[in-house]
Parts: sequence; structure tokens; C-alpha cells
Amino acid sequence: MTPALDVLDADVVRSGRRAQRRRSAVVTSVLALVVLGLCVLTLMIGSYAVPAPDVIASLLRLKDDAPTDFVVRDLRLPTVATGLGVGIALGVAGVVFQKLLGNPLASPDFVGVSSGASVLAVSSIVLLDAGSTVVSGSALAGAVLTAALIYVLAWRDGISGYRFVLIGIGVSQFMLAIIGYIVARADVYEAREAMTWLVGTVGQAGTGELRTLLVALVVLVPTALLLERPLRALELGDDAATALGSRVEVSRLALLALSIVLIGLSVAVAGPIMFVALIAGPIAQRLTGPGGSLLAAGLVGAVIVLGADLVAQHLVPAPLPTGVVTGIVGAPYLIWLLATVNREGRGG
Amino acid sequence: MTVLDRPTQRAEASPRERSRAALAAGLVLVAGILLVVCFFSITLGSRGVGVPTIWRAFADYDPDDASQTVIRELRVPRTLIGLFAGAALGVSGVILQGVTRNPLADPGIMGINAGAATCIVFAIMVLGAQDVSTYVWFAFLGAGLATVSVYGIASLGREGATPVKLALAGAAVTAILTSVTSAIVMTNVEALNELRFWQVGSLAGRYFPVFWQVVPFLAIGLVVALGAGRALNGLALGEDLALALGQRVRLTRLVMFATVAVLCGAATAACGPIVFLGLIVPHLARMLSGPDHRWLLAYAVLLTPSVLLAADIVGRVAASPGELQVGVVLGVLGAPAFIGLVRYRNLSEL
Amino acid sequence: MTSHDLRATNLTLGYASTDIVSDLDVTIPDGRITVIVGANACGKSTLLRGLARLLRPRGGEVLLDGTSVQDMRSIDVAKVLGLLPQTPVAPDGITVGDLVGRGRYPHQGWFRRWSAEDDRAVAAALEATGTADLVDRQIAELSGGQRQRVWVAMALAQDTDLLLLDEPTTYLDINHQVELLDLLTDLNRASAKTVVIVLHDLNLACRYADHIIAMKQGAIVAEGSPREVVTAAVVTDVFGLACEVVPDPVSGTPMVVPRGRHHAAREVVEALA
Repeated sequence: MTPALDVLDADVVRSGRRAQRRRSAVVTSVLALVVLGLCVLTLMIGSYAVPAPDVIASLLRLKDDAPTDFVVRDLRLPTVATGLGVGIALGVAGVVFQKLLGNPLASPDFVGVSSGASVLAVSSIVLLDAGSTVVSGSALAGAVLTAALIYVLAWRDGISGYRFVLIGIGVSQFMLAIIGYIVARADVYEAREAMTWLVGTVGQAGTGELRTLLVALVVLVPTALLLERPLRALELGDDAATALGSRVEVSRLALLALSIVLIGLSVAVAGPIMFVALIAGPIAQRLTGPGGSLLAAGLVGAVIVLGADLVAQHLVPAPLPTGVVTGIVGAPYLIWLLATVNREGRGG
Repeated sequence: MTVLDRPTQRAEASPRERSRAALAAGLVLVAGILLVVCFFSITLGSRGVGVPTIWRAFADYDPDDASQTVIRELRVPRTLIGLFAGAALGVSGVILQGVTRNPLADPGIMGINAGAATCIVFAIMVLGAQDVSTYVWFAFLGAGLATVSVYGIASLGREGATPVKLALAGAAVTAILTSVTSAIVMTNVEALNELRFWQVGSLAGRYFPVFWQVVPFLAIGLVVALGAGRALNGLALGEDLALALGQRVRLTRLVMFATVAVLCGAATAACGPIVFLGLIVPHLARMLSGPDHRWLLAYAVLLTPSVLLAADIVGRVAASPGELQVGVVLGVLGAPAFIGLVRYRNLSEL
Repeated sequence: MTSHDLRATNLTLGYASTDIVSDLDVTIPDGRITVIVGANACGKSTLLRGLARLLRPRGGEVLLDGTSVQDMRSIDVAKVLGLLPQTPVAPDGITVGDLVGRGRYPHQGWFRRWSAEDDRAVAAALEATGTADLVDRQIAELSGGQRQRVWVAMALAQDTDLLLLDEPTTYLDINHQVELLDLLTDLNRASAKTVVIVLHDLNLACRYADHIIAMKQGAIVAEGSPREVVTAAVVTDVFGLACEVVPDPVSGTPMVVPRGRHHAAREVVEALA
């Protein structure tokens, strides 16, 4: 093909692309600022209020003030770190799932990965009376095993998003039946613990698993950003992606594995917090414009989790698990999403 | 997806025309199976009993004989509830699959049971409803709302309610209902304690009062449903063709959904949410009866309670002296069947 | 444009338990337009998918310039051979410019992300397909004809010497079908791009093809120029259709006129004469 038919036209293409990139960069920076703001806010409020300058001073170790340091660093910082980590993990994993499976509704919440993590975690709570490390390890193992099971069951001359989603829903029902049984045969105290865990909340993290999640994020998020390139090819369907020279199965497996580890770790830390993985991606896309980005989705996830936790802890009469708030806020959005997605014929 | 551009391999030849005699004979056979299952449902358990005891329990009741009391107060009502609830769920499955022309339509997958469950929890925990005859109305409401919203959401868009859309809409609505339920339950330990037993789906601890409270609704629903065969045969051709043949499609669909709401609502009120039953058994029944909905409904009415009661017996025997709730047994056994359906059946057609 | 050699030897392809194409040999003429025709489920799309390495052969191999495509790095194949699949998926809310830009995938890498060359290729592809004024529109807003042209633009932006298209005219009105095939002809004439198209419509195939491959039950029944291949006998064999073949009044290429059972005008006219 003869290149450069029309120099002006290439300029138009370039400027369009740059405008899009600028918008994406601006939105991402603003989101990062909002996340930062929410973190500071979470550190400030509570029964012992700390003004913002003191929070920052304490975090940066600018001055020593034992009570403030204790409240900010020891009491509230773990919650903030959890909200941040879990939000980013859920946001990134959710959007990878949606793009890989080609369906904006194919969130790990619905296709069985979260419920698989829950089965093992709840079993370890009720049957083994386990501590938080074991519970988290079980959750991670549950997510990985369930996802592997779905992958194998959905494999038939390759993976189709459609089969993956349906089999995921079937597996999810199976897991829910087992969870129901375990919860019913537990004693009241354990059942309550299990139910709270099942709703998902930011405040219950142990330091060990929190550290694991944060380390994993440092490794996995940059990896995800690198894999965004093959993801953009995979989005066009397997045939088109192969034709463009992408190694479809390898890339897909890597992306799935990455997001499943993220989901497993975040469920391990905070339980299966509903709807975050589902709504972070579409919201990010609306903000950054067409194409979207993994980073923006992760930041939106963090905004949702931190915001929901603030509401759940301080704006309602009695503190609630974070998952109750994301559930109630997410539900109307989900219905709206279902309706528009189906109307536009993207629902599968 | 890649599935679409392959030559569709539909090996199953169109079911042979089965003669009326063969169909009727099959029906008698299935009825026989149901009777046998009912018998075992009454006799098997941690306390085995024989036929004479059953006879005496009703003909010549001796309140001091524990075996007779177990039969009168526990086993018989349990079996009767299983009978009616099973029939209700099976028939609902047939109707939903027929009306939506979608092989994955099922009261469990579509979130209808969850809708009923959530409204029941709401009625009990928030409004303080005490007995089944009060909260069964909330069950109808919940089941109806869930049916209409899931089907409504899934059928938006050009291709109508495809299996994936229906399943995802069902999963999504179930997720929403679950969060509402947990929000209610989280604030109240006692409520939580009750809910966790009820939401597994079980025939245990359902006594005669419960039976008498739900049975009128189930009976009416079943009568309407059994008369719906012809209408369903019409809808099976697709909305456009059914209209062209002079059927009142909207009215039929409305009546069918209302029937499903009553049946599922009452069944859920009686034994909690039970998944997969209404999905799998209609497919089994269809293998026996062929595509005519009049026979299909008759087979489903007899076959579904057999499966439900058999699963209940399995749960009692397998975990003896304790018991495995029937909802758990069906969840565990139903999932492989569901997955087989997704893997090996051509889901675009029913 | 460098010349290339795409051929298959003893190629067997299939899905699940069935072989669709068995033991097939074919050579794609370089720098020409080749059209593959045949009845439904004759294996023509399967062959195209095999040539484009979307299907791993069960036997035999597909050779691109003498090397088996399965042994080459996928990305190296993608620099030479492009494919427009039958049902590509447009991601959510994506714009025309972004979609066409994704055709540049094989020319970019982990570190070399986007260059002026990429901008030029995208602009040229938009220009060639007449979609330059749609560049900021979302795919979802476009008509079927526009959308198909945008997909072709994406395949063009890939800037390959060989371009394979699987039934690109499906869902298009007749005017858009002709427009698209004219466009592909322009590309072939302008730069000797090798084009392989799977097509349903025999008459359009005759008009636009330099070389026709007629397939039946997974095997090649006839191949050659339209005049050699499209005869009443071959059409009857391949499609099971009784027909006459007459010269196309516009292009002079063969034109297939089905007989059917109710229109025996010729016999009537002859009998009256």
C-alpha cells in the first residue's frame, strides 16, 4: 500500500489519538487525587478526629505525637491500605474479565470465582475454626481451583466467552449450595462470623494477608499494564486477534491467571465484596472515553471501596460491613447496566 | 463467538412421533415410580417403619407409639409437601422454558426463588410476619417481581432473551437480592439464625400446618399450568408465528408468568429456595415425552416430585443419623447436569 | 510490494470429531484476486481459516514462502498475511480511529508503541475505505455497510501483502457489496496486493475474481479463471442447481441463471420458432 496519501489526514489521526491520550491521562490523575483524598479522609475521621495536616505529618513522620501516630498509623492505616489494595485489585481484575470474556456483565462476582473462594474460606472458618491466615490462604486456593475447574469444563476446541460465563454460573450455584450447607450446620457464633465474612468488609484484614496483597499488587499491576496490549487485540475476538499476530491462548491464560490471583487475594483480605469488580470497569470507561484503561479501572475500584467503607462506618447508625453498602449502591447501577447492555445487543 | 460459524452439528434427530399409547404407558410407569418413591420417603429414615405401622398410624392412631407419631407428624407431611413443591417447580421449569424458548430458563437460575426468599425474609424480619399463610403473599410478590424483571431485562435488545442474557440477568438479580437480604439479616443475630436454615432449601421440619397453608395455592397453580399445554405449543413456534396463528401472545405470557410466580412463591415459602430442579427435570421429561407440551407437563408433574423426594431420601440416608438438606443434594447433583447441558447441547434451540 | 507464495499441501482441517477439509492441495496465485465459492458447509471458510493459521492442521501443512505457518512466529505471519474474520467483535464504545489503529498491532511491540508510520498507515486505510470522516464516531452508531468498511480499514492498516476475507459481503446491501468488491479490486490493482475472498454470490465472484476455486464437501472441484470454472456442469455439480451460464452484459464474465421448475421460457420460445 502506498503510505502517506494525504499528510493532513495523518495529522488528523495523530491529533485524535493524542486528544484521547490526554483525556485518559487527565482522568487518571484526577482519580489518583480523589483516591488520595479519600485515604486522608478515612485517616481523619472517627471517634478520635485528626485534622488533615496532622494526618499527613504523622504519615510522613514529620513530627512525633504518640496518640495521633497510634490512631493514624496503627488503627486506621491498615483499613486504608486494605481499601486501596482491594479496590485496585477488584477493579483491574474485573475489567480484564469483562474484556476477555467479551461481556460487560461477566464479572468474577457472577462467574463463580468469588463463590469458589468463599466456599473454602467459609469451610475453614466453620470446620477448622481457622485463624485469619488460613482463611485467606483457603480463599486464594478456592479462587484458583474454581477458576481452573471452570476453564477446564468450558474448554472445547478453545474457550468461548459464552460457555465460560454459563458454566461459571452453574459452578457458582454449586458452590452456593455447599456454602448454604456449611453455614446451616455451624453453631450460631461461627455462622455469624461466616455470614459477615461472606458479605465482605474492609475492616477484617490481618496484617499478613494485607502485606501479601500489597506485594502482589506491586508485581501484578505493572504486569497487567504490560498485558494491556495483547488484551486490546483479544477484545476483537479470537480470530481477529490471531490474524493480528497475538498468541491468543497464552495471552488469555496469563491475563486470566493474573486477574484470578488478584481476586483471590482481595477476597482473602476482605471477603467477597460485591459489585466492585463489575462496575469499576464500565465507570472508568465512561470517564476516560472509549478504550478505557486498566489503571483507571483500578483507581475507580479504590474510590468505590474507600467511599463505601466511609459510608458503612460513619454515615449509618450502626457500622455495617462494606459489602452491604457496595451491594446497595451497586444494585441500581447493575440494573441500569443490564438494561442498556442488552438494549445495545452486547449482552451475549 | 467461535461456536457460531461452525456447521451446527445437531445429531439428535427430531424425536420420533411417539404413539399415544406409548406415551400413556410411559406416564403410568412414571406414576408408578413416584408411588414407590413416596413409599420410601415415608418408610426410610433413622427410624425404619413398615407398612402395618403406616396403616395403623391413620386407621387406628396410638399417640403413645413413637413410630406412628413420626409418620403422622413428620414423614407424611414432609412427603406431601415434597410432592406438591416438586410438581410446582417442575411445571414452572417447563412453562419458563416454553415461554422464553430458552433451555436454561429455571426458577433457580432466573432468581425467582431468590426473589421469593428475599421478600419472605423482609416480611418476617422487618414486618414481623409470623406464619406461612401471611408471608406466602410476599413470596408471590417477590417471585412475580423477579420473574418479570429478569425476563424483561433479558429480552431487551434485538436477539431477545438468549440463554447467556437470561442466566446473567438471573445471576445479577440474585446478587442484588442477596445483598438486600444480608443487609436485613446483618443487623439481627436471631434473624440470621433463622435464615441460614431456611435458605438452604429443605423438606425437614415442614409439618401439616405449613402444608395446609400452601397447598391451595399450589393446587390452583398446578391446575392452571396443566391446562396450558396447547398455549405453550403455540408459543414454542416463536412469538411472530404464534401471533400469525391467532394466539393472544401477551395475555398467554402474562398468565403463564403469574402462574409461575404463584407456584414458585408457594414452593419457596414451603421449603426454601431450591435450585436446578426446575431446570434439569423438564429436560429429562422432554426426553421421554417428546416436544408436545401437553404430555411434557404431565410427565414433569410426576417426574419432578420423584426426583425431589429421591434427593431428600438420599440426603437422609447418606448423612444418617443427621441429614443433608435436599437443596444441598440438588445443588451438588444438579451442577454437573447443568454443565453437561451447556457443553453438549446446542443452546440456541429448544 | 514483494511477492509471496501461499500454498497448502495435503491439508486436513476439522472441528471436534469431524474432518471438514481433507487432504487438500492449493496454491494461491500471487498478486491476484482469488475467490473461493461453494455451497453452505462445503469447507470454504474452514479452508480460509486454515490458510490464515486460525486452525491447526490435522494433517499436511500451510506454507508461507516455503515455511510452515505453524512454525513461524504468529506476529511475523501477521506482518505479511492479514485476515478479516466473519464475525469480528467490536469492543464496547470503541471509536473508528481506535479500532482501525488496532490493525497496527503486529508492527508495534512492548517498547515501540506508536509511531508516525502507524498514523500514516491508519490515515491511508481510512482514506482508501472512505471512512476518514467517521474517525471519531463510535462503531455502535454506524450502519452495517459503514461498519464493514471500517473492519476492512482495520485489516488494511495491518498493511500486509496478502489479505484474506471471510464472507465480507454478508449483511451488506447489494450496492455496498459492489462497493466493497470494487474497493478490494482497487487495492489489488494499485499495489498488487494478493486478495483471497470467500464469497456466496457466484455472479459477483465471476466478475471480480482473477482466479476461482470451487469447493464441494471439503475438496476442490475446479479452479482456474472464471470462464474455465463457471460452467453449467460445474455449477450443477457444486450447488446441485440446474442453470444456464450466459455472458454478463456488463463485464462479459460468466453469469449464472438458475432454471427452477416453473420458468421454461427458452424451450417455449424454441418450440414456437
